[in-house]
Amino acid sequence: METSFAITGKGYVLVAADTTAARSIVKMKTDEDKIKILSPHLLMAYSGEPGDTIQFSEYVERNIRLYQIRNTLTLGPSAAASWIRRSLADSIRSRRPYAVNLLVGGYDTSSHTPELYWIDYLGTLTKIPFGAHGYGSYFALSLLDRYHDPEASLEEGIATLKRCLDEVAKRLVVSPGKYLVKVVDKDGVREIEI
Amino acid sequence: MATSSVYTPAGFNFSNQIRNTFLQERGVPLPKATSTGTTIVGCLFKDGVVLGADTRATEGDIVADKNCEKIHYITDSIRCCGAGTAADTEFTTALISSNMELHGLSTGRKPQVVTAMTMLKQMLFRYQGHVGAALVLGGVDATGPQLFTIHPHGSTDKLPYVTMGSGSLAAMAVFESGWQPNMTRDDALNLVKAAVAAGIFNDLGSGSNIDACIITATHTEMLRNVETPNERVQKERRYVFRRGTTAWKTESVRKLIVNEETTIIGGDAMDTS
Amino acid sequence: MSIMELNGGSVIAMVGKDCVAIASDLRLGNQALGLSSNFQRIFPVTDRIYVGLPGLGTDVHTLWEKFRFRVNMYTIKEEREIEPETFAHLVSSTLYEHRFGPYFIEPVIAGLAKTPSGGVKPFIAATDLIGCLNFAKDFVVAGTASSKLFGMAEGLWEPDLEPEDLFETISQALMNAVDRDAYSGWGCVVHVITKDKIVTRTLKGRMD
Repeated sequence: METSFAITGKGYVLVAADTTAARSIVKMKTDEDKIKILSPHLLMAYSGEPGDTIQFSEYVERNIRLYQIRNTLTLGPSAAASWIRRSLADSIRSRRPYAVNLLVGGYDTSSHTPELYWIDYLGTLTKIPFGAHGYGSYFALSLLDRYHDPEASLEEGIATLKRCLDEVAKRLVVSPGKYLVKVVDKDGVREIEI
Repeated sequence: MATSSVYTPAGFNFSNQIRNTFLQERGVPLPKATSTGTTIVGCLFKDGVVLGADTRATEGDIVADKNCEKIHYITDSIRCCGAGTAADTEFTTALISSNMELHGLSTGRKPQVVTAMTMLKQMLFRYQGHVGAALVLGGVDATGPQLFTIHPHGSTDKLPYVTMGSGSLAAMAVFESGWQPNMTRDDALNLVKAAVAAGIFNDLGSGSNIDACIITATHTEMLRNVETPNERVQKERRYVFRRGTTAWKTESVRKLIVNEETTIIGGDAMDTS
Repeated sequence: MSIMELNGGSVIAMVGKDCVAIASDLRLGNQALGLSSNFQRIFPVTDRIYVGLPGLGTDVHTLWEKFRFRVNMYTIKEEREIEPETFAHLVSSTLYEHRFGPYFIEPVIAGLAKTPSGGVKPFIAATDLIGCLNFAKDFVVAGTASSKLFGMAEGLWEPDLEPEDLFETISQALMNAVDRDAYSGWGCVVHVITKDKIVTRTLKGRMD
């Protein structure tokens, strides 16, 4: 089942999402990238209805790029999260709403803080130190309550994230096999091997 | 996108409808709105009309407001008691009151009670009962004292004594045994008080105090809390906590500017000669 | 499960002597699963008015954005700050506009009104989800713990509490009520509004 996690640490946000593209009971693909890079310091893990996720994440990506072109400034994480929330809140009021759940992680280059936002398809938005979507959240959130440290270094953060992935692999019946992990910090976004 | 518009159109907005039906299909029932369980009554007497109401507002089995006002203003000599969905009675009477004021200004005459009654029934009929207002409308105009009931679907009755709401049966029992034609003002008020009291004590949807309103050709008297049979007794002990009982983690204080003083520094007063 | 219980949350407001207090829990959940312990549902409208919006999480933000827009428009048109009672009617008519297809929010308003003599008068109000106003002289409550809050406040509240005593009363009423509600809790925030300052405190309480 689709699962995504994100944790903040000292100066970074770590985002992990599984790489399976499933249809019914069949795995169609196992190297799908479900973390979109929205801007140099912003990324977004998405999950939900297959067609909607791609469509919506590309819509967000293009609009954030458009804002950057028009205003030369890039939207900060909180502003971007607000805009994305509003898009989903408008979408749920339309005839064909997007069924997409998101974790938006970013590094605010003006205040030099990592920020993480949890957004669901209804347009619920909350700023969190760590979060998850999907069945994995039932295991990961309690684990992160115990092990999360907002002052942890990147190495420690990765170790905590690994605990989550291992726990889900161990306890979830239909656990995903592979994950893609991306990190955003003052140097921008990059993929890391785990 | 509609959200960026500064203009707000009049009338109801249905923008949440699709989402709410979708949520409902997922099996989540809509929460209840405040309804006034209510006993509302009205009765004609020799030279006018008396309206009466209890003051309890309920939200399911919870008493949401112990002293609300159910006798709404329509014009100086017309009032309207409301039962049913509280917000609907509140906004429907406010809308009609405002239209009655405009009507009065455009005709240059004091508007009649039937006018208000027609406006109300036409509005309620248009909404096919979805605006859940059950009303008792009373007043005095050029044609004499008038009393009506208006049901949520838009039907009306014109009777010498009427009751509405969940306590209507209890109140009507009192009217049936005590009402007489051409009563005096005091007798009528006492009968109305007895009818509302019957609702307060025998119907769970009604409670607290009695409001009454006496309208005659020359004068309208609003008797707010004319009877308070359910006064809360003085607490025998105080339950104030010693300061410092509650442990708190963070505190932030936002100081406000209470007053400003302008001091002019240097320079002479302007030469105005 | 009702829509109100999807995300959980409760708000209470109380009147004191020349002061008002408004308090809320900080939980945001997805039914039984807690997601956030720092979900602010109380917002400052003006310097002396606060509004609490318990209910569906998405509507908390959507409605607050709407109120902020409408209050800003009012301030620009009228060239003055909105008064608490006017704001209460703004809230009420905004919600009634959505009478058919409502927002799942039961707002609570607390503020200090200006009197002609230059003093302040405490004001609290609450509405149901379609905007039926309830002006109370003592306290108002809303949210998933409302039934418990009614009981607590009915027992603890008394007239003319000083700001510090009002803080204790509202905090104890809220904390003990949300401890008996599965959908509320996970931390509390209390705002006490007086003539010259607003004191905001986060409470130390149970996190279960």
